[in-house]
Amino acid sequence: MSKDLRIANNRFIDQTSRISFKFDGKTLYGFKGDTLASALLANNIHLVGRSFKYHRPRGIMTCGSEEPNGILQIGNDSSMTEPNTRATEIELYEGLEASSQNCWPSVNFDIGAVNNFFSPLIPAAFYYKTFMWPANFWKLYEYFIRKSAGLGRSPTEPDKDVYDHRYLHCDVLIVGGGISGIIAAKKAAKNNLNTLLIDDKNVLGGTTIFQQNECFKINNSYSNEWLKKEIESLNSFKNLTIKTRTTLAAYHSYNYLLARENLTDHLDLKEKKDKIRQRLLKIRAKKVIIATGAMERPLIFNNNDRPGIILSSSIKKYIDFYGVKCGQKISLFTNNDSAYETAVSLSNRGVSVNSVVDIRDKTNSLIVKQVEKLGIKIHWKSSVVNTNGYKRINSIEIMKLSDDGTAVMGKKINEKCDCLGISGGWTPRVHLFTQSGGKLKFRDVDNVFLPDKSELDQISIGSCNGDFELDELIKNSVNLTNKFLKVNNNDYENLEVVCSKEIDKKNIWLLPSDKPLKKTKSFLDFQNDSTANDIKLALREGFKSIEHVKRYTTTGMATDQGKLSNMHALGIVAETAGVKMGNLGTTTFRPPYTPLTFGAIVGRNVGEFFDIARKTPMHDWHVENKAKFENVGQWKRAWYYPIENENMHEAVQRESKAARDSAGILDASTLGKIDIQGSDASEFLNRVYTNAWSKLEIGKCRYGLMLNEDGMVYDDGVTTRLLENHYLMTTTTGGAANVLSKLEDYLQTEWPELDVYLTSVTDHYGTVSICGPNSKKILSKVIPDLDLSDKEFPHMSFKNALIDNIKCRVMRISFTGEHSYEINIESSYSKSVWEKCFEAGKEFNITPYGTETMHLLRAEKGFIIAGQDTDGTMTPVDLQMDWIISKKKYDFIGKRSLYRSDTIREDRKQLVGLLTEDPKEVLEEGAQIVAERNKKPIEMLGHVTSSYFSPNLNKSIALAVVKNGKKLKGQKMFVPMKNKTINVTITDTVFLDKENKRLNA
Amino acid sequence: MFIINCPYCGERDQSEFSAGGEAHIVRPKQPTELSDDQWAEYLFMRKNIKGVQFERWNHSHGCRKWFNMVRDTSNDKIHAVYKMGEKPPVK
Amino acid sequence: MDLKEYSEIKISEIEPILKINLRGKNRNFITKIGKELSIITPVDPNTSSSNEKLNLLWLSPDEWFLYSNDKLGIKDANSLEDKLFNEISKVKLGSVTNVSDHWIMINLKGRKIFELLSTGCPFNFNNFKNSKGAVTQTLLNHIDVIIHNKNVNDLNLFVRRSFSAHLWSWMNDSARFI
Repeated sequence: MSKDLRIANNRFIDQTSRISFKFDGKTLYGFKGDTLASALLANNIHLVGRSFKYHRPRGIMTCGSEEPNGILQIGNDSSMTEPNTRATEIELYEGLEASSQNCWPSVNFDIGAVNNFFSPLIPAAFYYKTFMWPANFWKLYEYFIRKSAGLGRSPTEPDKDVYDHRYLHCDVLIVGGGISGIIAAKKAAKNNLNTLLIDDKNVLGGTTIFQQNECFKINNSYSNEWLKKEIESLNSFKNLTIKTRTTLAAYHSYNYLLARENLTDHLDLKEKKDKIRQRLLKIRAKKVIIATGAMERPLIFNNNDRPGIILSSSIKKYIDFYGVKCGQKISLFTNNDSAYETAVSLSNRGVSVNSVVDIRDKTNSLIVKQVEKLGIKIHWKSSVVNTNGYKRINSIEIMKLSDDGTAVMGKKINEKCDCLGISGGWTPRVHLFTQSGGKLKFRDVDNVFLPDKSELDQISIGSCNGDFELDELIKNSVNLTNKFLKVNNNDYENLEVVCSKEIDKKNIWLLPSDKPLKKTKSFLDFQNDSTANDIKLALREGFKSIEHVKRYTTTGMATDQGKLSNMHALGIVAETAGVKMGNLGTTTFRPPYTPLTFGAIVGRNVGEFFDIARKTPMHDWHVENKAKFENVGQWKRAWYYPIENENMHEAVQRESKAARDSAGILDASTLGKIDIQGSDASEFLNRVYTNAWSKLEIGKCRYGLMLNEDGMVYDDGVTTRLLENHYLMTTTTGGAANVLSKLEDYLQTEWPELDVYLTSVTDHYGTVSICGPNSKKILSKVIPDLDLSDKEFPHMSFKNALIDNIKCRVMRISFTGEHSYEINIESSYSKSVWEKCFEAGKEFNITPYGTETMHLLRAEKGFIIAGQDTDGTMTPVDLQMDWIISKKKYDFIGKRSLYRSDTIREDRKQLVGLLTEDPKEVLEEGAQIVAERNKKPIEMLGHVTSSYFSPNLNKSIALAVVKNGKKLKGQKMFVPMKNKTINVTITDTVFLDKENKRLNA
Repeated sequence: MFIINCPYCGERDQSEFSAGGEAHIVRPKQPTELSDDQWAEYLFMRKNIKGVQFERWNHSHGCRKWFNMVRDTSNDKIHAVYKMGEKPPVK
Repeated sequence: MDLKEYSEIKISEIEPILKINLRGKNRNFITKIGKELSIITPVDPNTSSSNEKLNLLWLSPDEWFLYSNDKLGIKDANSLEDKLFNEISKVKLGSVTNVSDHWIMINLKGRKIFELLSTGCPFNFNNFKNSKGAVTQTLLNHIDVIIHNKNVNDLNLFVRRSFSAHLWSWMNDSARFI
């Protein structure tokens, strides 16, 4: 560390605890409390990166989130590395490794820098213009452009850090802990409001906390000392929560705000372990006070981007807060009073200030007089016309400005320096205000956009509201807060505030040079490398809207969203086009205010918690028996149960054969179950299903199709009449929640007169389904006293029964076409009943089967799966299920739509069966079906919806929807695939046991 | 993300609710007596205006009740919520 | 799902207790359940009533949730369910549905339980925290839950059985970092 750049003793940096870190492989040292930027500057390192387009050397330019140049890669680990971080926001920690981006082989010798010499050939939109033709060459261009344009490396392995989310609810949220934020926080807390104060820095107090200057005093103390006491007094409030290192990212409507709290980024590598790295706060605030302050503007002049050119207020912070000198011989260039504060700070700390170059005529504010008293030379009405030095500024060229400020004149003065502080005035941080939908107004006197109207319960106070003088800032912050929070005390109202006030203001967006504009490099957007010249070119080429100019030149489109460049771009456009800036409007600021990590956005929804997993009561059994699982909605369903090295096809062939030959057992617990009670239950079912329900006997089951009002099939399932006014409805697994919500909708809004109550019991019951010719024998072993004769317990009926004294409901229903039973029993007992059935079935080779076999078995029978064979465009008639539509019922959901002109068309797509010419050929689901192969364009008549190889039929079978399919039975069709065409024949949808003999076998 | 004042449960986060389209479209009592055009009017035609709109919402992750909302779609301001069957507030 | 303890948070599953869903609209229904259960039926939103054995939670203007404090024997449970079913559903006053196994009850105790909930629940607990007996139905980690404020820093949380293993594991993961 160069000792002479670090001044001894200040209260923000702990100079007793030295920290070692690496930059571009070199070990360096800093102190606890440093940012990476301040530590680099203390090591006399300004050059930290190469610019995006021209690969010009660039140095740290600011001390905050607006930093355009100090964009570094942090970390070296392939899972922990993070690109595009701002050195000015990284707190130094032991073991930190950082490296430059966008340079090769190194930041000091970068081959891409040849672009700088060719820069006249790379104007705005160079890439758009050059690489447009020929269009199909883009693939080639892209490869090289992407390679040379890389900003940082992405991590290649999963992030090991843990992130979290947290909802917070407060009465008042204050964003920004500068002087006005502190005043507001204390007022809110004192007023018993549940208050949350957040600030992105680790130390509260904004810029005032290091303002120790004779010209700025409150109640006879230096302003920093006064504020320090105020901050300390906040500790006594229990209803005030303060979160530092917390950046507000987004401000949405209804005062919903997102903030990122950094918890471990500043800790040593060892201390970071097993802690949450960042937390995304989801804040609901009744009221919001924005006190985000202002940021300093650069000045736009020739070669204003050299390492060593830094915003003057940042130089002040580096010396006053971090105790770091940005140079040994510093020059300042300004259009306002704030650079003079920097001059005083530097001078007080023993740094020699060459001169202040001021574009204004001589002015006499308190602070200017103080600088004059220190004997610092001031070049009035002058401008810096050029800077020199490749990797670090070494001199500036100063000339007098003409009266109108459009030209320079007289003798050129050359001044040696190793750092240049620039100040172009201040821009209120109105980003959050505009994100929330607030409208801005323009103030001409100092060219600032200020918060105007907002729909939300919020205010802006302090310099983000345009108050730049300390006395007015305090007065207005106090008054606005009082009014906003309805506070009735006179705290802060009788403060004695002394401050220097700016008397003269002057602004020139693009400073003139002694060279023609074309020969200058006056950078606007440092991160995206666009210059004043680019803006002028865009205007000459006919772009008028600021939004278009922005996109054409990419000004303001880098990760900093043009925090430093937007105002100058607007100014130059307005000036050139002869429009008033206030009328031009601004570009839109979008969230996030500063980039967010993906980790913070995702939180803990990774790995096991990526998505919700619903499990059936028998889940553990499936796991123990090596089932493969399939996601059905959020459910984990047993898909198939491979034995030894079986693949899915082999397992499914075995399982489906066993189910037909002897016995299979399926976990059907995921089906939706709705308990329906009420004196109008039958009438209700009549209205929601297409078929008639009034005459269903108690103890009987019936299959129903549910439509949407547009007549399209929505869901299906079996409903059982348990008692006169008591039904149990089942729905598809995926449709359960939607069906219940749809039925509730009708009951609450269309038919409130019906006495019907619905209660979901999906999770209350586990469902064990056993099927196959031996299912009856198995059930009789499990429930010996239940009469299973066809007469007592026929197909489509139900019985109450007891298994080990636990009540259960047994339905004789079938989705496979086999003789089968479903046992519904309370979930706590489901697994033991499943095991009981399995034990009882062992002598019959009972085989557990999963969803894949279930799909195959039902396809053999031509049973549809709502959502697989239907897609929201199929009516029951399209499905050839005309039999299920009651002719007698006056109305049901969707009935009227069944004879709309479109639904009675004969050439609609209809469900059919398909058989392949080669019985071994299994079609792909989704494959297209055509009649004529040679016609172009080929007419696609439909597609395959379900397809399997059936071991029971020893051939391939498929269901498909085909235009006019009903009339095409027996016709040959083609299924064109990538490498071949498959010949198929349209058939009936039922492939097996058309007479339903097996149901009663 | 809105804060919605459920007429039954009070103010809740929008994530507890689901939207159900335009309000006050009554299902015809005798659909079979309508012409295709009349039925299509009920089935498909929705205003979708920019400005004050009457909407149906369901407190799906709370009390599961449907209710109506008057919302300005241009700025998402909710002017009123009221129960099903209640008369809409005057514009 | 055994008891887990973290700093100022205890999470445990309480099983199996009787849970019944009750639905009805008219006054007679409300007085009848009050009488049958010797409990005042809560009609104010987001509230509950309790006696020594039972808790009755308001879920919506026509829906209530009944759960017992202790595990009941099968006989007692069946007889309570049957009694309610016969007195309410059979006489067309409303519906009575056993949901004992539909819901899993998880008890949360400790000073930091609300911090735990805030990691995945958009509900504002600021007032709820201090009102004994308060009830809310909301989302926790995108999963529907019913939360009953049993006592100071003592909550019963109900989650559907199929989601319970996932939510349990998520809550335990969350609690590690509180």
